[in-house]
Amino acid sequence: MGKEQKFKAENLEKNAQTKTENLVENVTEKEVALKNAAAEKEAPAVSTVRKTSAGAYFKKHRATYLFLLPGIICCLIFHYLPLAGLSMAFMKVDILDLFHSPWIGLENFKKIISMPDFTKAIFNTAWLGFLNIIIKFPAPIIFALLLNELKDGIGKRFTQTVSYLPYFISTIAVVGLAVTLFSSDGIVNEIRSYFKPNEEPMYYLLEQKCFVPMNVGLVVWKNLGWSSVIYLATISGIDAALYEAAIIDGAGRFKQCLHITIPSIIGTVIILLILEIGNLFKTNFDIIYGLQNSAIDYEVISTMVYKKGIQGSQYGIATALSLMEGLMSLVLVLATNFISKRLNDTSLI
Amino acid sequence: MFVILFMLFIVALTLFPYLNVLAKAFNDSADAAKGGIKLWPRKFTLENFKQMLSDKNIYHALYITVARVVLVTIGALLVQFMTAYALTRKLKGTALFNIFFLIPMFITGGTMASFVLYKYIGLLNNFWVYVLPGLFTFYNVIVIRSYIQTSIPESIIEAAHIDGISELGLFFKIILPLSKPILATVALWVMVANWNDWTTTLYFASRNKDLETLQYKLMQTIQKSAQLQKDIKAALIEGGDVEAAKKAASKNIPPETMKSTQIIIVTVPIIMVYPFIQKYFTKGITLGAVKG
Repeated sequence: MGKEQKFKAENLEKNAQTKTENLVENVTEKEVALKNAAAEKEAPAVSTVRKTSAGAYFKKHRATYLFLLPGIICCLIFHYLPLAGLSMAFMKVDILDLFHSPWIGLENFKKIISMPDFTKAIFNTAWLGFLNIIIKFPAPIIFALLLNELKDGIGKRFTQTVSYLPYFISTIAVVGLAVTLFSSDGIVNEIRSYFKPNEEPMYYLLEQKCFVPMNVGLVVWKNLGWSSVIYLATISGIDAALYEAAIIDGAGRFKQCLHITIPSIIGTVIILLILEIGNLFKTNFDIIYGLQNSAIDYEVISTMVYKKGIQGSQYGIATALSLMEGLMSLVLVLATNFISKRLNDTSLI
Repeated sequence: MFVILFMLFIVALTLFPYLNVLAKAFNDSADAAKGGIKLWPRKFTLENFKQMLSDKNIYHALYITVARVVLVTIGALLVQFMTAYALTRKLKGTALFNIFFLIPMFITGGTMASFVLYKYIGLLNNFWVYVLPGLFTFYNVIVIRSYIQTSIPESIIEAAHIDGISELGLFFKIILPLSKPILATVALWVMVANWNDWTTTLYFASRNKDLETLQYKLMQTIQKSAQLQKDIKAALIEGGDVEAAKKAASKNIPPETMKSTQIIIVTVPIIMVYPFIQKYFTKGITLGAVKG
């Protein structure tokens, strides 16, 4: 009985297949006829060798392949052509006649390395990246662990929703909030005047030494709530029986956190940490550029690329700069990926 | 107890800057210049908003922003969905296409190369620079693809084939309607990212005043107000009159309240909807684990 049914089903399937094939063929034939008269002669021949010919396979699935076309075109133009454009790093670029610009080998790179700004920018970039890892990265973990201690309810949900807010508003609006808060007649100076009533207001926005803390502060403020989502998701996946057992064993909230919650999220933490290290050189251009003004001298590589290349029209040098930045990032990503493979047996790529 | 206090602190820290700016935006501008506005406007007025919304430039910027968001969202959804759908059909060469799309996720040409490319294909200082480069994002394609693979049963597609549906019909009548949740998710990602974007204008369209978006206008206001700070400080050091410096500067620099109003205007659409859309964004984080 079972066999019979199976046989019937197979037959049906075959019928259906040939039916659809015929339909598809009909459609293709019509299209071909419209487009190209020569193809019309080929079409019947194709149907006989359908199973072997690659061209025929393509024809049969042409509609589906056509679906890929917009994506491929967009990807080629907007992702691959800029990759080819990286070759400008080895050119003395004449923007009006790019294709006849002379090749100058590593000249641009030599120039960059001899620039005093460059060493500074590299250092600044690495320093900001490092601060991100030691401050921006752990903050949401602590936030998630503490939030987990709150009882489920309206208060917890409200806190979560509010903490997501900065993630959704634009970077420039975040900078705008900071500028309003820290300006000479802003609220921060007012609070300060309570404690030091005799002093002049501070010009935080113009202080070189306030630039980095403000930068890190804004990045933490913007991402704190949102980055905690993934940890909270991991925590909510922990088996409740573990906590029950711990309570029976007499573990308090702190011990539960230490021996159950933290070990459960440590895998996620490591993976994200590795990704973060891979992004070490990807500084937040938006916030840095937004906070910069003529009184501040703090360039990172991405702002240098913008200022040298787009404002200063030194296309070759700027491309060489961004190529170096990209290569450093790529090396970091590959290295961290290699380490994670060794540690976790999981590759991120 | 400590935890509750800490959470209250975080909530306050998050909301406070915004409420402060909100209070300033609704305060009389001459009154606000005296300082001291905290969480509530002292002299309530709608004048700032009236003034801002009667500004033709702001309207134009709003029009450009909305136009780019709408166009790029529709276009990106179409392109990314088509690609994702075709990749789920498991045709010959799919693996090759996957690699082709994947490579640019790891190495990018960077701003400079894009700048020169746009110059050559005429996108520089052209409205379409907001739309065309944003059409294809492989990350979104991966997310859509894994949704189609896991949520649309193969049997539905087979059944449709038996009923003699064309590929186009299958895509528009079956795949798209069944993918509404992921459609909404990706649409929201694209919309929020493009509404908030201002660097595209800075890099590629800053020479054309007609293409300024709301966010870019805000950036200009912020930079002007930083310059104002510098002028005031300079006046102070020279022993001059701070009030005079402020007055001199305010001729070509919009007052503090205007900046606050602008911040409110660019963020309000997001603030209004984000509590309702956050679940769609969370989906992205959890789906993000399904790479490749």
